[in-house]
Amino acid sequence: MTDIALNPAAVSAKPTRRDIGLKRRYAAERRFKLYGITAIAIGIFFLCALLYSVLSNGYTAFWQTEVNLSINLDPKIIDPDNKRATDPNVLLTANYPVLARNALAEKLGVSSSDRAGLRELSKLFSEGVRGQLRELVVKNPSLIGTTQNVWVLTGADIDSAFKGQIDLGVDQSRRKVSDKQVEWMNKLKSEGVMAQRFNTGLFTYGASSRPETSGLGVALIGSLYMMLIVLFLSLPIGVAASIYLEEYAKKSRLTDIIEVNINNLAAVPSIVFGLLGLAVFINFFHMPRSASLVGGLVLTLMTLPTIIIATRAALRAVPPSIRAAALGIGASKTQMVFHHVLPLAAPGILTGTIIGLAHALGETAPLLLIGMVAFVANSPVTPLDPATALPVQIYMWANEAERAFVERTSGAIIVLLLFLAVMNITAIILRRRFERRW
Amino acid sequence: MNLMTERNLEKAVNDKMNAQPNAIKMQGKEVTVHYGDKQALFGVSLDVPEKMVTALIGPSGCGKSTFLRSLNRMNDTIEGCKIGGKITLDDEDIYNPKIDVVELRARVGMVFQKPNPFPKSIFENVAYGPRIHGLAKNRQQLDEIVEKSLRRASLFDEVKDRLHEAGTGLSGGQQQRLCIARAIAVSPEVILMDEPCSALDPIATAKVEELIDELRQNYTIVIVTHSMQQAARVSQRTAMFHLGNLVEVGDTEMMFTNPTEKRTQDYITGRFG
Repeated sequence: MTDIALNPAAVSAKPTRRDIGLKRRYAAERRFKLYGITAIAIGIFFLCALLYSVLSNGYTAFWQTEVNLSINLDPKIIDPDNKRATDPNVLLTANYPVLARNALAEKLGVSSSDRAGLRELSKLFSEGVRGQLRELVVKNPSLIGTTQNVWVLTGADIDSAFKGQIDLGVDQSRRKVSDKQVEWMNKLKSEGVMAQRFNTGLFTYGASSRPETSGLGVALIGSLYMMLIVLFLSLPIGVAASIYLEEYAKKSRLTDIIEVNINNLAAVPSIVFGLLGLAVFINFFHMPRSASLVGGLVLTLMTLPTIIIATRAALRAVPPSIRAAALGIGASKTQMVFHHVLPLAAPGILTGTIIGLAHALGETAPLLLIGMVAFVANSPVTPLDPATALPVQIYMWANEAERAFVERTSGAIIVLLLFLAVMNITAIILRRRFERRW
Repeated sequence: MNLMTERNLEKAVNDKMNAQPNAIKMQGKEVTVHYGDKQALFGVSLDVPEKMVTALIGPSGCGKSTFLRSLNRMNDTIEGCKIGGKITLDDEDIYNPKIDVVELRARVGMVFQKPNPFPKSIFENVAYGPRIHGLAKNRQQLDEIVEKSLRRASLFDEVKDRLHEAGTGLSGGQQQRLCIARAIAVSPEVILMDEPCSALDPIATAKVEELIDELRQNYTIVIVTHSMQQAARVSQRTAMFHLGNLVEVGDTEMMFTNPTEKRTQDYITGRFG
């Protein structure tokens, strides 16, 4: 033992190991991992920044300040000449805001002769009360003469002040709510008649110049119509085109050209599709402007390449052994496709379709060109009526200056992101559930 | 044996070759196959006798699978594939434009190299063929066909309690027998098998071989195999292919004991291939 240890020959006999650069290789691996982690961290940081900015600005949009008033539906104000039995316009044109103002004045002890006070008082609640009370009365005229407890929207500035978005420390001449209004607001708040309630109006109102009565109603219906049109047009057309190209068409120069063109179309900027829609659907076929039908058709054109590419990939992923098995027992080509290939490709097709739809849902540029960037106050009934779309509504609100529109912009972004998230998660779940491994 | 002259030997071979008790089911005459510019078969003439197992042997790429696949026109699905010569089924040219390829494939079934059950239930796998060809008038008849086919493929006892479970969940050997049952279910006259045991272990192989031997009583079978032993065990006639040509065809016994061609002998004894 000691002999060996002391023997220099034994030590030198140990073969020197070649330098095969292990250290360098491991260092390269570590470096690469670090790059990857950095890239992911940057991505996550920006995602979080985006979500934080949207959520922190937008969550307040889902609550709206309202005030509970006992409104006396005074026939002397609604129908001073007592003609409502003969003239239906009386109930439509009556001065409803005065009813709300009187109710509020009574509650806050403002004298009916204090003109300046009353004017300031009127700003506490929204002009939207006109439509709200009109609807109430027209639906049930027997309410006239009674006193009703109604939750009335406050004005947008009061809403902002109530949510603490207006700095009340500055002088009242430099802010939109006066000291008097703040005092009333606090009084109503302490009495519990002014409170934040869930903002259903955000999902039902159309366009309005008053933030408190503007909502996504028109945009939601418009987007829904467009998604239905895109789904019902691009899915069958896209799948039929893919099946023909993938299963039936003989490889030729023509199919090669078609293939290249489909791939190119998928990369064409969406605004070009908007111009195409404007030229073809509106100028040539004279379809109505701003209609969700045209929007849906344009988005269909835009989504088709995506769906065709996804479908062809899904069809190609079905193993040839399944096709051979079907043909081998005498299935015709069509039977092979529809009984075996298509069902196996369905999850891939669905995933592609949903991702294409999500893409279409968030598309803005082509819709601007076909006039869907309009001020539409009334809900569209058919796809031929003027409508807007969710992303366009965001674009329009983002151009408004008022504080209350800022929170609505972010609120609308949250709604849009929720829709997109739900669609993408559905796509993932479908893929997970129906994916088969061979 | 040593005294046997070459001429005598040749005569003996010819006698055996000519002594075909069975009628000819399928016949290939000067069959050529091109894949694009590449020629895969150079004029192969081969008779397939009825209710016998004909084995096609030969080294890889010799055209035996190509010949097999042209017997039920599976080559049609390959783009750029051109077929010349003539192949008949019961004296009918199967490449005649009047012949419906779907009907042909219902008469000439096929079992593939890798078991390829549909990703559906065992029952659905077998019932698919009869269903598309309208062979069963009602559910009861369909049940009968499925059971009969599975019994013939000697699989029924193993799967009778789980007919509605996925066919892909079976073992490899069971899957291959399921594929055979699926082919039988449409009552074909000829069954083509393309190396049906190459993906199976020896025990599963033995079962499938046993099955092939039983099926011979009702069906004409053509089997491509890489295994000499398998060809010797299951077939009555053997055809040796090499480089796209038919080298030799004859009774299996004869081919393995007394091949006339040197190439056959070399291949059988493992000198090339």
